[in-house]
Amino acid sequence: MEVLALLDCLSAPACLLSQAVGGLKIGMLLFLVASGLTLIFGVLGIINFAHGILYMLGAYFAWQAMELTGHFGLSVLIGAIGVGIFGLAFERGLIKRVYESNLLIQILLCYAVILIVDDLVMIIWGDEFLSSIGVPEIFQVPPLFIFDAVIPPFHLAIIFTSLLIAILLWMLMTRSRFGSLVRAAAINPKMLEALGINTNFIRYSVFVLGSFLAGLGGALAASERSIVSQMGNSILIESFIVTVIGGMGSIGGAFLASLIIGMARSFGAVAMPLFTDGLMFLIMVLVLILRPRGIMGEKK
Amino acid sequence: MKNKKSYRTLRRKLMKYGFAGTAYASIGFPTLLKAESNIKIGIPTLLSGRVAQLGISATNGIKLIIDKFNEAGGFNGRKIELIIRDSRAKPDEAARMTRNLINSNKVDIILNCEASSASFAVQEVIRESGTLCLHCISETSSLTADPSIRTWNAFRFARQGIHDAVGSASYAANLVKEKGLKKWMSIGPDYAYGRDSTATFFEILKKFSPNIEIVGQGWPKLFQPDYTEVITQIVRQKPDAIYSCLWGGDLVSFIDQAALYGTFKNSELFAINLADYTTMSAIKNLPEGLHSATRYIAAYPDRQENRDFDSAYTSRFGDHPTNWSWETAVATDFLISAIQETKSLNPKNISESLKGKSRQSFIGVGEGNTVTMRSKDQTLVNYAIGWGSTLPKEPYMKDIKAADWESIQELEKEWLTSKGWI
Amino acid sequence: MNVSIKDSFKKDAIYSVVSWIALLSLYFIFNDHGIQDIITKVAILGLFAMSLNILIGYLGLIAFGHATFFAAGAYTLGLFLQSDFIIEYNIGSWSIPIALSLSVLLPGILATIVGVICIRLREIYFSFLTLAFQMIFYSLILALVGITGGDQGLMGGFPKPPFLGIDLGIHFHFYAFTTFIVILAVFLMRQIIESPFGYGLRMIRDNHERPAALGFNIRSHQLLAFIIAGSLAGLAGSLQALLDVGAYPEWAFWSKSAEPLFMILLGGMQTFLGPLLGALIFELLNDFVSANTRYYGLILGLVILIFVLGFKKGLLDWIVIRGRKN
Repeated sequence: MEVLALLDCLSAPACLLSQAVGGLKIGMLLFLVASGLTLIFGVLGIINFAHGILYMLGAYFAWQAMELTGHFGLSVLIGAIGVGIFGLAFERGLIKRVYESNLLIQILLCYAVILIVDDLVMIIWGDEFLSSIGVPEIFQVPPLFIFDAVIPPFHLAIIFTSLLIAILLWMLMTRSRFGSLVRAAAINPKMLEALGINTNFIRYSVFVLGSFLAGLGGALAASERSIVSQMGNSILIESFIVTVIGGMGSIGGAFLASLIIGMARSFGAVAMPLFTDGLMFLIMVLVLILRPRGIMGEKK
Repeated sequence: MKNKKSYRTLRRKLMKYGFAGTAYASIGFPTLLKAESNIKIGIPTLLSGRVAQLGISATNGIKLIIDKFNEAGGFNGRKIELIIRDSRAKPDEAARMTRNLINSNKVDIILNCEASSASFAVQEVIRESGTLCLHCISETSSLTADPSIRTWNAFRFARQGIHDAVGSASYAANLVKEKGLKKWMSIGPDYAYGRDSTATFFEILKKFSPNIEIVGQGWPKLFQPDYTEVITQIVRQKPDAIYSCLWGGDLVSFIDQAALYGTFKNSELFAINLADYTTMSAIKNLPEGLHSATRYIAAYPDRQENRDFDSAYTSRFGDHPTNWSWETAVATDFLISAIQETKSLNPKNISESLKGKSRQSFIGVGEGNTVTMRSKDQTLVNYAIGWGSTLPKEPYMKDIKAADWESIQELEKEWLTSKGWI
Repeated sequence: MNVSIKDSFKKDAIYSVVSWIALLSLYFIFNDHGIQDIITKVAILGLFAMSLNILIGYLGLIAFGHATFFAAGAYTLGLFLQSDFIIEYNIGSWSIPIALSLSVLLPGILATIVGVICIRLREIYFSFLTLAFQMIFYSLILALVGITGGDQGLMGGFPKPPFLGIDLGIHFHFYAFTTFIVILAVFLMRQIIESPFGYGLRMIRDNHERPAALGFNIRSHQLLAFIIAGSLAGLAGSLQALLDVGAYPEWAFWSKSAEPLFMILLGGMQTFLGPLLGALIFELLNDFVSANTRYYGLILGLVILIFVLGFKKGLLDWIVIRGRKN
């Protein structure tokens, strides 16, 4: 571990700022994926182990749309909406059937879907990786220099877009009728049904929303990450960590935890490049032992 | 780490059991019984994911040679049959599949087209079974250079890390002098090959240019999707030059992402694995003037035979060959020649015939354009290693400088001695 | 009660000997290394899955990090066989038995540490914690390159000196030895499951309050089961390492933990030998599918879907239940 390198970096504005912005970007993309995971768990009580494929499909759909339309913004949107639709089919077709089953069955169902979709993607788009869809033209400019830190404007755009989504999500969950229904469904679905509210509708709309967010994360990431089957695996693992640390079911917690993981990745690369992954799991274990409900999880 | 004595004892024991295994295998399956059947070659490889191109272009290289051989009537009418398995680059899968190929499919020979990690797994399986194995992809030096890992029935028909390191370092040393590249950084995948390649490159470069300074090293995971955290470090350190042994899709992602930061305007990139057609054409906007070793390009060696190989391959498979294609093509060519020479499939006989064998090749730069299977460590030498800088379009490379094999072998020897391997 | 335990002990012992002899005759009936290898592999994977089923089937704990102990066993065996220790103390021919014992012992100790922490949590939190420990273990294997060889795994092979006339370099010896060890382990597992302790586990699974009311300590039962399961997984891992002559970090990755879950699903968790049948189906599927198509995941995934949504239980469970009905 190179503590000195880390201290050096923390005390130099240039390093601090560029690593922080880098960490922010990684963290915000992660938030998009993890918020869906935590939302689905909070309301449906099910761990979507297949969440990574939604991220992957977002990237593939966006790539396909880019081939057809050539328009960046449109492609990202199509990618996200496409995954939302896929999520609807996934929930209605498969997930719905295992709500009452035990954890083992749920895990295995998701495992099966991961295996199938990873292969289908290879059959449709080929075995080889696809190049990223690239950055929109207005962002193909020299990076900004702020306090000597180098910051690509496109990364700022990603951060702001994700922040905007986070705020919208927060408003949706706290300020709208839909949000209060969702929260009510998480606490007492039977009561809602007794009041004549269709809990099925709430369930699948939450699943669609979660899928849409993961798809959006994937589509945005496709702008500079190469696209390949099984690309969902690493983000899935990170999303689990975020969900656990933040508190399962808590969107605010997922936001905070995503930032922590993004920063841990970014500054961890300076301090202990070989054990950043292990470090994140260590944090996860500590949280589970000391505070199993996570930083912002509520007691049920 | 272990001391030399225990290595030797270990090795002696391994040899003993290795041979015992072979003896048993040959009693179990007398070669004579199969006189009428095809010659079966098993190929563990990876055909999917971020490096699918590796398996695809490697097996294509084999097919190109085998088909010609089969069309010409094979070996006394016996044709060669390929059995290809996709391990998805997982070492444990590679071990399982190799074992299955040998025991269930009863292949006669293994042409190993796995990347490094999985190649070490294959090595252990064939060490025990005594099957003849030609490693066609793995460049990690220790596979053949380390006597405790080497085995009598395995041959490397691929470039080797230490050879490339010397070629790269001497090319880089010239530019260090010319352009005053003092501050260096590196970014390499965090696995055996990446660490091996980076360490040897700097070790040798420091011999040529003792004054360089390494200001930082980034070790992203293999197939890591995002290199932001490493790139921001590079941008901050403003090195004069960067060494990278990332490859395939990883290298493409890195160059795409680093270009966003304008990284290559300030720092010279020495990307040893860049100059393969499939890699260069996948990069969104390939910057001009990046440095790379010639993995495989038709323009080097600048000879008709080489251009012929490129066009034969391209017309058959619709894509240019890669570094992996020439490696497997050369391996297959050597193998066929050894089978014809010994008229047998006995691993012992073929292995004796392969040792020290030289053959003319489109990629050869030895005497009379040959490549040679060096007998002392059973690895390929005298293949073309060139370095040059990139162009955004065909022919993709300019100012290619050939590496000198004499100095490669000389520095290789020094390096082996320093490792305690000779 | 005493009499019936003795009787079942005798019966199980006879079954074990008979099945071992049957497996030995299979070796000569199928005079083919390929098929013999499949039997060896099924035995090893079966042991792995059955050890996990102590937790899942009998205790109702969904452990998601069981491959930790499998990998720990494999690395223990490999590192011991490669160590200077053997040469310095001239252990020679005893190195394999000692290595195998260590491969039960060390994963057992590891399981004690992990278990003490994990069993404090319930349900999904328990699963997540086991998963997190597994991933730390995996990261450690990757990071400690000097000892473990990092991503390449243990290289250079292991010496396997003959002991008591058994030479594991000989194919038949290896087959007979592996199947013997697995049958022995399964026999022991059976005695544990059928003991009062084993019935205690079932009681905890079915009802949390009653066992506590009956005055026995739930946690110590859970911990002991976790340790037994971990040690046996370690044994399975060490046999796998002997077979593949290596140990790989992938064995500590989460997807390796999904494999025995899948076998348990295929074969059945309510029947003692269910996971073993699951391992057989898994291995045949694995060999057949990967030999015939590259889209291995697609086929495997569809099979899992059929079991999850169709049968909803393992094959052997299904057969047993049908048999009872008739």
